[in-house]
Amino acid sequence: MRILPLHDMLEAKGASFEERYGAQIVSTVSDLKKEYSLIRDGVGITDFSFMQKFRISGDSGVDVLDRLFAGNVAKIRFCRVLHTFLADERGQLVADAYVANNDEEFIVLCESVVDDTTLKKIFNGHSVLQSDETGTAKLEDITNSHVVFGIDGYNAWKVVKDLFGADVLGLPYLSVETYSFEGGPVLLFRAGKTSEFGYLVMAPKENGRKLMEALIAEAEKHGGGLCGTNIHHAMRLEGRFFNIFAEGSRVRDPLPLGLQWMIDFDKESFLGRDSILQRREKGLENKIIGIKVNAADGDLLVGDPIFDNGNKIATVEAACFSHVLNAYVGLALFPVDIAYAGLQFNLRNADGPNVETISMPPIIPKSLSVKLDEM
Amino acid sequence: MDSAMKEKINKRAEVINAMKKELIKRLNLPYKPEDMHEDISLFGAGLGLDSLDALEVVLCVEHCFGIKIPENNVSILRSINTLVDYVIEQKKNLEVSA
Repeated sequence: MRILPLHDMLEAKGASFEERYGAQIVSTVSDLKKEYSLIRDGVGITDFSFMQKFRISGDSGVDVLDRLFAGNVAKIRFCRVLHTFLADERGQLVADAYVANNDEEFIVLCESVVDDTTLKKIFNGHSVLQSDETGTAKLEDITNSHVVFGIDGYNAWKVVKDLFGADVLGLPYLSVETYSFEGGPVLLFRAGKTSEFGYLVMAPKENGRKLMEALIAEAEKHGGGLCGTNIHHAMRLEGRFFNIFAEGSRVRDPLPLGLQWMIDFDKESFLGRDSILQRREKGLENKIIGIKVNAADGDLLVGDPIFDNGNKIATVEAACFSHVLNAYVGLALFPVDIAYAGLQFNLRNADGPNVETISMPPIIPKSLSVKLDEM
Repeated sequence: MDSAMKEKINKRAEVINAMKKELIKRLNLPYKPEDMHEDISLFGAGLGLDSLDALEVVLCVEHCFGIKIPENNVSILRSINTLVDYVIEQKKNLEVSA
């Protein structure tokens, strides 16, 4: 298992750990309700160093990445970030990825459902680099040499402003910029998935400890603190951000998941293209939609069946408790002809608790009330 | 599926289809209507629209359904589904007051 570079420091701060696809992750630091409040009302600092990280340089680096990812890497403007995915030959999801155009290089941050070795094989396999005609693309795996920390929450912008300067307020969503910390470079991505303000900061692991200490100290000034990754499952679901570790690891087909926006269908090639296009041509049979069960009616668990007039029609693929709504919310895979918000069904059996299909996202985050560009 | 559910689905599907077609046309989006999940975020990740596009979305709803979207509209413009909820609710209000 790949151990987090700051394992000892995080453990001393109360972190609990678990293994996910061969990498160690921080699951929780305190109770989930407290971590939820940190992000919704203050700011949560999360160690995302489990992410797989790559640096691609060279003139043809962009072509190499374009042949791998579903989105159009060639169209990423300087200092901007593309949110897309990596699929296998069958068009099944392998990784949720941010691809950043950073000066003379591209940086790729992956959350994947395969271990490091398998992912690297996909990058290097398919003869992608070898088939590069000019031979000038250079792929460097920087997973072990760099840390990535998440800064998410209503006050996240205050933390990055204090650490890196006021010009961070001008960063648009899905952009990247280099800043200095303790004399070394750090890369700041504006790219959260909590629906509050969100940033990811990447630094060489030698600077990781000091950076984490600085982030926590700044966060504590603004009602924040250290979080685990588990709370991000609920945050992503409430904000209807795709979560490869929840619905993505169960469904794997990007089309029923509604990830068409991550795909450039006009591209001539990317991994899994033919399979995905064939399925698109055939038409969807099922698709994932939002559901809600009121807390008074019971809980909602992944795998729960949903019934309509005694017939099983759908399955719950992701679920969490929403403290804002005082209800369980989730995603379920429904046949397309009834995959609409505003309908009532039964959970677990024909006479089970009421489950309602809903429009997503079901909450209005506090951060929507703040306009950074007017500060 | 009972008839009440069928009617609800038909009403919603009608609004969704009209909305998607108009959005694709006005914003020149590179998708077919069936490629656009109703929960897709309109701004940021998802469709990636900007503040200028927001005006087009507002005009789209006005043109298609004759419904005005208020200026303080961030909660309505989160996804196609939240837009559709607003349209259906406003249509219902208009029917009641007529």
